[in-house]
Amino acid sequence: MAAPLPDTLLAPGVAVPAPAGAAARRRRRALAPDILIPAAILALIAGGCFLWPLVYPVPAPVGGSILSAGLPPFSPGHILGTDPVGNDILSRILYGGRVSIEVGLAVTLIGLVIGGVMGSVAAYSGGIVDTVLMRVLDVLIAFPALVLAVAIAEGLGPSELHVIWALSFFSVPAFARIARAGTLRLHGQTFMLAARLSGTKAWRILLRHVTPNVLPQLITFGLLGMGVIIILEGALSFLGLGIPDPAPSWGNMIALGQGTLSAQPVLVLIPSLFLLATVLSLNLLGDALRKRWGVR
Amino acid sequence: MAAEAGPAPAGPPAQGVPGDHSPGTAQWGSAGRAVLTSPALRVTGKRLLSAVPVLWGVTFLTFVVMNVLPGDTAQELLGANATPAELQTLRLKLHLNEPFWVRYWHWLSGAAQGHLGDSLVSGQPVTSILGQRLPVTFELMIYTFCLSVLIAVPVAAAAAYRPGGLVDRLSMMLSMAGLSIAPYVLALLLVLIFAVNLRVLPAIGFVPLSQSVVGNIKSLTLPALSIGLPLACFYIRLLRADIVEQMQSEDYVVTARAKGVAPWQVLIRHALRNSMFGFLTVLGLNLGTLIGALVIIEPIFSLPGIGQVLLQSISDRDVVVVEAVVLVFALIVVFANLLTDLLYAVLDPRIRYGRPSA
Repeated sequence: MAAPLPDTLLAPGVAVPAPAGAAARRRRRALAPDILIPAAILALIAGGCFLWPLVYPVPAPVGGSILSAGLPPFSPGHILGTDPVGNDILSRILYGGRVSIEVGLAVTLIGLVIGGVMGSVAAYSGGIVDTVLMRVLDVLIAFPALVLAVAIAEGLGPSELHVIWALSFFSVPAFARIARAGTLRLHGQTFMLAARLSGTKAWRILLRHVTPNVLPQLITFGLLGMGVIIILEGALSFLGLGIPDPAPSWGNMIALGQGTLSAQPVLVLIPSLFLLATVLSLNLLGDALRKRWGVR
Repeated sequence: MAAEAGPAPAGPPAQGVPGDHSPGTAQWGSAGRAVLTSPALRVTGKRLLSAVPVLWGVTFLTFVVMNVLPGDTAQELLGANATPAELQTLRLKLHLNEPFWVRYWHWLSGAAQGHLGDSLVSGQPVTSILGQRLPVTFELMIYTFCLSVLIAVPVAAAAAYRPGGLVDRLSMMLSMAGLSIAPYVLALLLVLIFAVNLRVLPAIGFVPLSQSVVGNIKSLTLPALSIGLPLACFYIRLLRADIVEQMQSEDYVVTARAKGVAPWQVLIRHALRNSMFGFLTVLGLNLGTLIGALVIIEPIFSLPGIGQVLLQSISDRDVVVVEAVVLVFALIVVFANLLTDLLYAVLDPRIRYGRPSA
C-alpha cells in the first residue's frame, strides 16, 4: 500500500483527467437554456403554489359561495374564474399543485433512497440476495402497477399520505432496477478492485465509490419518474381515490370538470395545462441533465 | 415507469451485427430437426419455466394486498346496517372465516386446474365475466398497440433521416409534449375536439364488431388514441435515437454507403431493421404500462371492458375476480415478453443458428 496509486484509482468519479479549461466550460454551460428554462418554469410553479397564498392572499380553495359560481376567467377578484360551486379556480390550482408537488417529491425521494440502497446492495453482494431481489422485481413488473396503487389507496382510504404509500410501491422497484444495473456496470472497474484490495469496508465502498457513479443516473431517472408519479397521482385523484373531493388536486379538478366538459371546458383545460407544464418541464430537465452527464 | 428503466432482458444487444443478415424464413421452416435442438427453443423453455414463479408471485401478492387492506367483503355486500349474525353467516358461506393460507391454497389449487371460482359478490362464474369483458379490452389493446407502432416507426425513420433537421427537431419537440400528456387528460381533450366540437367520433359507448365494423372502429378510436399517442411519442424518441446511433457508428452502414446504396435505403433496410430488435423489447416491456392505462381510460369512454370490473371488484373486496383479472394481465405481459424472445430468435440469425451471442 506504500506505492502511490495512479490518479484514476484514487478518484473514482473521474476516470479520465479532464483537460484544462473543461471545468470553466462546464460552469458556463450550467446556464444553458435547455436546463435553465425548464428549471425556471418548475421554480415558478412550485414557488407559486407554496408562496403565492402567503404573500398575496387568494380566496379559500373550498367553501366558496354559490352566488359567485361559474364565473368565466378574468372576472374581477377571480383571475381564472370560479367553478360550479363558486370556488376560486386560481386558489384551487395553487393548493392542488401543492399536493402534486409534495406527492411527486416524496414518492421520488422514497424510491431514490430505499430503491437505490436495495439495488446497489443487491448488485454488490450478489448471490442469493441478488437472486431474490430480482425475482421480487420480476413479480412487480408483471404486476399491473396501477391495480396495486388503486387497491392500496382504496383500502386505506383516500388521503395524500396513502397516495404516497401506494405510489412508492412502484417507485422503489424502478429505482432498485436502475441502481442494480448501474452497480453491476462498475464490477471489474479498476477503482473498485483497488478499493477492495486496500481493505475498504463494503459499506464504505458503496458510499464513496458506488454512490457517486450511480447517482447521476438515479437523479435523471428521478426527474423523468417524477413526471410519471404526478400523472399517476392525478389518475388516482381522477378515479376518486386520491385527495378527497372538497380539497383540490389537479387530478380531481380535471375529474370534476369532466361533467361540464362541453359547457365549461375551461374547468378541465386550466388544471390540465398546469399538469402538462409541470410534467413537460420535468421531462425536459431530466433529458437535458441526462445529455449533460452522458448517462445512458 | 418501470418499463422505461431497467436493462433489457436476456437477449442479444441490438447493435454490432456484422453485416446485413436477411431473415430468410426458408431455413427456419425447413430445418425441423435443427429447431428442436436449437438454443432458441432452450431459451424459450427456460423463460417459460421462470415465468411460473413470477405468475405465482403475482397471484400471491394480490391475495396479500387484498387481505391486508382493511374492510371485508361481507361488510361491503351487506352495508353498514348488517347485524353481526348476518355478517357471520355470510362469512361462513363465502369461507371468509378460514385462515389466509387455507383460502389462498384453495384458490391456487383451483386455479391450477383451470377453476377460477365464482365472484363473491354476484356469484357469477369468473370465467363468464372474463368472457364477456375481455374481448372488448383485447380489441382496444391490439388497436392501441398497432396505432402506436404505426405512428412511431415512420415518424422515427423520418426524424432520423436528417438528425438536427427540421423534421427531426419538430418531431422531437412534439413527441416530448405528447409524452408529457396524461392519458386521461388527452382523452378529455380528444372528446372535446372530436366528439363535442367536430362531432365526428362518439364520446361514449361501444359498438360490437359483429354489429358494424366501421362503428366498432369509430367507437374505439378515441380511447385508443388517448393511450396510443403518448406511447407512440415515447417510442419515437427511443427508435430515432437508436437509428441515428446505428447510422453513425456501424460498419455495415459504411459498407452499404460505399456500395452506393441510397441513404434512405440504408436507413430503412439496414439501420431500421437492426433497431427493431431493441424496439421489440421495449414494446414487450411497455405492454404492462398499456394495460394499466386501459383500466383508467375504459371508464371514461364507458367501454364495457375489464377496467370497470376491476375497479368495482377492488372496491367490493371481491378477491376472486381481482385475482382472475390480475392473472390475465400478468399472463399477457409474461407471454408478450416470451413472444419477443421468440421473435428475436426468428429474426436474429445469431440466435437462429445458435452462435454464441454477447
